[in-house]
Amino acid sequence: MSGIFNSEVTISDSGFLFDHGTGLTYSLNETGQFIFTKMKEEVHANKMLELIMEEFDINEETARKDIDDFYRQLKEAGLID
Amino acid sequence: MTEKRIYTKPTIIRHTVGVMNKYGRPPATVPMNRLVGYEVKELAAKYGSPLFVLNVQELREKYRDMTRAFKTRYPKAHIAYSYKTNYMKAVCSILHQEGAWAEVVSGFEYDIAKNLNVDGTKIIFNGPYKTRDELIRAFTEGSMVNIDNYDEMQLIEDIAEEMDKVLEVGIRVNMDLNNPPWHKFGFNMEAGHAFEAVKRAQASGKLKVVGLHIHAGTYIDDVSIYSKAAQGLVDFYTYIKAQLGVNLKYWDMGGGYASHNTLNWAWAPAEQTCPTYDQYAETICPILMNGPFSANNAPKLFIEPGRALVDEPISLITSVAAQKRLPSGARGIVLDAGMNILSSVQWYSYNFQTGQDSGFMVEDTVIYGGLCMNIDVLRQSASVPPVRRGDLLVIPHVGAYNISQSWQFIYLRPAVIAIDGGEIHVIKKAETREYVQEFEDVPDKFK
Ligand SMILES: Cc1ncc(COP(=O)(O)O)c(C=O)c1O
Repeated sequence: MSGIFNSEVTISDSGFLFDHGTGLTYSLNETGQFIFTKMKEEVHANKMLELIMEEFDINEETARKDIDDFYRQLKEAGLID
Repeated sequence: MTEKRIYTKPTIIRHTVGVMNKYGRPPATVPMNRLVGYEVKELAAKYGSPLFVLNVQELREKYRDMTRAFKTRYPKAHIAYSYKTNYMKAVCSILHQEGAWAEVVSGFEYDIAKNLNVDGTKIIFNGPYKTRDELIRAFTEGSMVNIDNYDEMQLIEDIAEEMDKVLEVGIRVNMDLNNPPWHKFGFNMEAGHAFEAVKRAQASGKLKVVGLHIHAGTYIDDVSIYSKAAQGLVDFYTYIKAQLGVNLKYWDMGGGYASHNTLNWAWAPAEQTCPTYDQYAETICPILMNGPFSANNAPKLFIEPGRALVDEPISLITSVAAQKRLPSGARGIVLDAGMNILSSVQWYSYNFQTGQDSGFMVEDTVIYGGLCMNIDVLRQSASVPPVRRGDLLVIPHVGAYNISQSWQFIYLRPAVIAIDGGEIHVIKKAETREYVQEFEDVPDKFK
């Protein structure tokens, strides 16, 4: 088990995600994939913003909103609580 | 410092089984960054959003192509453009430049045509309600008038009496062609009303029937309806010619030809179901050519297309006002355009294409209009890539009915521009508060 996720998830290099708990599959875009990988490394939400801004060309306000939205999507998908 | 990676909004999309939905395979969302050679972003920045954009060359080509399709099969065919579809002056004027006649259904529309210097003899006056003054003007100026009902016939007989001459008229007929049938307009053929109407007009001594008109419905993508209508007219003409000695100067097949927009209840996208101009013409013309006349005295054939000409050449640029997650988990977006300027969402499932580069990972999205009204939904589900506030969407094929049926409500209505040969012309300015309130007044005692 990888801590934050509700069940085991594996992700391919191309952003293809498999949820072993439910058998459902997903696609992540590049940015989503980046966040997801960091989550698997147990990077915490408050650190995530910093990492994204280091890696991508984006301002803080947009990134913060988008990360929130992304976490919300993961919750809705039942991948995290 | 190393180059940072290009950012796109993080997204996760669940794969669904059975990729086919009721519209077939969801179309790949092709970004539409340019319209008629201009950056969509540039147009919105300069002329505002929302913004209607007319491709003038495309409109001209559609007129020419439809004319070619019919004239090559029925040399005396002619287009009378259905004004109600979009009676913006510039739109009508371009079509008149190409040679279109005008089909109008009210004194107001008649006046628009006259104001554009359309000769009265090139106006067809239809509709269930025409006033006495409007009829007098139409007959005085030599227009073709198609009679809808007996009250109107009586009125025209009185006018003929006053003008002291026999007036030439057309009779609008209807047939049981579609379900539900269009019985509102004209005289029914199957019930014998159409024959009675022609007989009465001929017997009056004041009227002479020279035209037959049918308009079987709108967005008719089943060509067999046109073949039945055409055969019905041929049979009817043969009969009234024999019985009543009628000699037609024209017959008029009306409008109703479909455009490339998918109906809300359709099972396949319009690109697969919409007949071509040639298919319509090939259905109608050979049947009419078999009518009771020799080749050199064939009646003129009018067609009255509306949406088939003007739908496709006009697009709407609109921008994303907000994004939200619905309790169902579905994504919703709110646009700055509402159904007040897109009334055809009642019929059509429009395509929403991004006006800038965006990710390719589309997600089913509910598209809301910007009006503060619960019913303002532009599409229950469309495939849209990630977008954020301020991003532009382009809705193609919105030229028919949306502008003429638009209502000023909550927001001011947007500008309309025409792009032609690399030039941009504002053919309708965006409304202002002053314009909307121009005819209002607050009497002093209310102040
Ligand atoms: C008499 C008549 N002719 C033509 C039209 C144009 O119809 P369409 O836009 O479907 O071609 C209409 C539309 O209702 C009409 O009533």
